[in-house]
Amino acid sequence: MGPYDSSISAPAGSSSTSSSACSSSTKPRQPPDQMDHLLAGAGYKVRSNDLHQVAERLEHLETAMVKSSPVEISELGHDAVHYNPTDLASWVDSLLTELNTNPPAAVGVPTDLPDLHPFPADINMYSNNPPPLHGEFSQQVVTPLEEDVSIRLVHVLMTCAEAVQRGDLSLASLLIDDLQALLGRVNSVCGIGKVGSFFVDALSRRIVNSSQNGVVQDDLSAYENEMLYHHYYEACPYLKFAHFTANQAILEAFDGQDCVHVIDFNLMQGLQWPALIQALALRPGGPPLLRLTGIGPPSPDGRDSLREIGLKLAELARSVNVRFAFRGVAASRLEDVKPWMLQVSPKEAVAVNSIMQLHKLLGPGQPIDVVLDWIHDLNPKIVMVVEQESNHNQSVFLDRFTEALYYYSTMFDSLDACTAQPVKSLAELYIQREICNVVCCEGSARVERHELLATWRDRLTNAGFAPLHLGSNAFKQARMLLTLFSAEGYSVEENEGCLTLGWHSRPLIAASAWQAVPEPSATMGQINHP
Amino acid sequence: MAGSNEINANEAKKVVPLHTWILISNFKLAYNMLRRPDGTFNRELAEFLDRKVAANTVPVDGVYSFDVVDRATSLLNRIYRCSPPENEFSRQPGAGILELEKPLSTTEIVPVIIFFHGGSFTHSSANSAIYDTFCRRLTGLIKGVVVSVNYRRSPEHRYPCAYEDGWEALKWVHSRSWLLSGKDPKVHVYLAGDSSGGNIAHHVAVRAAESGVEVLGNILLHPLFGGEERKESESKLDGKYFVRVQDRDWYWRAFLPEGEDRDHPACNIFGPRGINLEGVKFPKSLVVVAGLDLVQDWQLAYVEGLENAGQDVKLLFLKKATIGFYFLPNNEHFYTLMEEIKSFVSS
Repeated sequence: MGPYDSSISAPAGSSSTSSSACSSSTKPRQPPDQMDHLLAGAGYKVRSNDLHQVAERLEHLETAMVKSSPVEISELGHDAVHYNPTDLASWVDSLLTELNTNPPAAVGVPTDLPDLHPFPADINMYSNNPPPLHGEFSQQVVTPLEEDVSIRLVHVLMTCAEAVQRGDLSLASLLIDDLQALLGRVNSVCGIGKVGSFFVDALSRRIVNSSQNGVVQDDLSAYENEMLYHHYYEACPYLKFAHFTANQAILEAFDGQDCVHVIDFNLMQGLQWPALIQALALRPGGPPLLRLTGIGPPSPDGRDSLREIGLKLAELARSVNVRFAFRGVAASRLEDVKPWMLQVSPKEAVAVNSIMQLHKLLGPGQPIDVVLDWIHDLNPKIVMVVEQESNHNQSVFLDRFTEALYYYSTMFDSLDACTAQPVKSLAELYIQREICNVVCCEGSARVERHELLATWRDRLTNAGFAPLHLGSNAFKQARMLLTLFSAEGYSVEENEGCLTLGWHSRPLIAASAWQAVPEPSATMGQINHP
Repeated sequence: MAGSNEINANEAKKVVPLHTWILISNFKLAYNMLRRPDGTFNRELAEFLDRKVAANTVPVDGVYSFDVVDRATSLLNRIYRCSPPENEFSRQPGAGILELEKPLSTTEIVPVIIFFHGGSFTHSSANSAIYDTFCRRLTGLIKGVVVSVNYRRSPEHRYPCAYEDGWEALKWVHSRSWLLSGKDPKVHVYLAGDSSGGNIAHHVAVRAAESGVEVLGNILLHPLFGGEERKESESKLDGKYFVRVQDRDWYWRAFLPEGEDRDHPACNIFGPRGINLEGVKFPKSLVVVAGLDLVQDWQLAYVEGLENAGQDVKLLFLKKATIGFYFLPNNEHFYTLMEEIKSFVSS
């Protein structure tokens, strides 16, 4: 171990110490955004220059708590909504406010931008789960069952993927034969056997088709798509969590608004919206006028499936006395949607709802930038983004393959544990299509370009959005939702204002909320200290 | 009785570095909100506030981690390993997976520490940031493997759940072929824990001794023990260094079976209901006591009890240390501790 960390500062006036560091008064002033490394290792982001103020605030908080009864203090745990505990300074301040103490001028929170908690642009994170860098060696540990066969299966899968990456297709084909043989010996009802077979299938498609122009997945009919989606929705909590969390946040964002407009980037069967309509109906002060614009693929053979869903939702709204208007926007790809199609009126509060759609815009040409731009221009009260929490967009095939193997194994494990749905084959087929797209496809055909929450944060921040933190109330209710599932093992976690749902300790889905920051003005860039 | 708040704040501030004061005070105040007077616990808010980190198979500072769920028990174990230097740069497909087949070493002895995190049986998890960071440091220090156990917590799961989970973890570790090491391959297991984790380590070691399962050593970091009697350290230090006796009492009430008191053998090891450890093949122990921890008299009584039973125990008494001194590497006690642990597992 080396000498003491240089960020040690002895409290002024103390007789300590064995510390070899200088006291705080002589420490060179750090750049304002410098986050303290020691506390970062404990999961907290505190600016180095704010340490003394945070300490002072903690003392104030303790004094305030000492004056309260134990009952009052535990009520603080109940009634107060907590946000983003990583930002320790703000958390302490919010509690001081709850206890009606007047804190001195807020630390680190810009007072001229209410409700926004912008992140400093570059944060020097201390060993805190960095996402794998491009090309960096990543050991994926897929824990095998206790049989040698499943260990071999994973090993050969990786070797085969590596051969594919190298272009050695004849070796890869031989390995596919090996893999089929191994699959025959492994328990294919659960665990690595099940997901392994999907990966073997995907690899073999890739090999067979690579001499042609790459794999293009067969399009399913709209009906088939919807059926798979519906089974996936029922079999595991991921979509329900997404809808539930999004609706919570949208409801809060629409507080006090009389005209609201939700833009759903993928209407599907509109499963998300009955709950929101009902919640709006029960809102104190009465429901607003609700407009819903649902985007979806055009329906063949003369059906207008978007309109059909719209009619059903309208009927529900009518039955609970919510004034409702629906509009369908048919587009095969999200990038084909133009903002004028949405007919947003300046008087309404807009919510943009994207459940696992934005990643489709990360393909060639990066249409994401254009789309984020026009979303920003709609001046939405909230942009809800839910995405798969994994990096399946790496350009190095082997990295992508490895990451996907790990991610989907975990997802299948979680699916296995849900006993409510005995027959899961259609839900598995839904997931299989995702796997196939990640593994087999390239270019514009590869639409499942999932990226990590940290990457989305950067992207959205750079596009002019600021986070709207999801708080302890949303967290608590998400956890309650999970208790409806018999499977123990699902976990909701708070991640700097976002919520993730995962299996055991591995997050699989991340939900975050955003609002548009006004166009650059004098206030931006001056957000460090008042 | 606890002194006035200002005096206590100043006491603690004089002896701990600023960062430590902030970190532990933050926990103290948050935890005050989570314990309800009626003995229930605000688990939702606790999970929301707890800073967690995911496992990371990409080595950071030479250590990587991954989670394994024991399918038999649904218990999560987080495994920390040192990344062998050659793998850092070579791209062997499946190298990470191959390592799970082979033993840690066929020539050298590689220590495996089963770690039980603290939190008074109630707080924290194996994937809490403070414990993830600590386990990473421990792994790098011993150049071995650390297995952090995500045991069930009170008040939802009282005694003996945590001990059973610890026992299951011990059996699980012993049965992993990829944790074997040495020329006569076996898993070289140590048990370790801080606060309640230390208490769990003791009880798992007892069960291991009774069942003939080998544990090479116990490392207890200010372990949580107690009793009905009020020891001098409890009255003298009550409220002075982040901890109040009334909080300790709450956690015991939450952990022990309802209606039990603190002389229960889970809590008061060598008390009126304690078992006799004389002649028991108990592992050697390293017991670390923080001189500003109000529980110290119980910890010292534990050390004395082990000595009286003829067991091998070393006491590391850190006079000016408070609880949680090992979370941040910003004080001498941290480095002293690390040196002691290192020599304990290599002797």
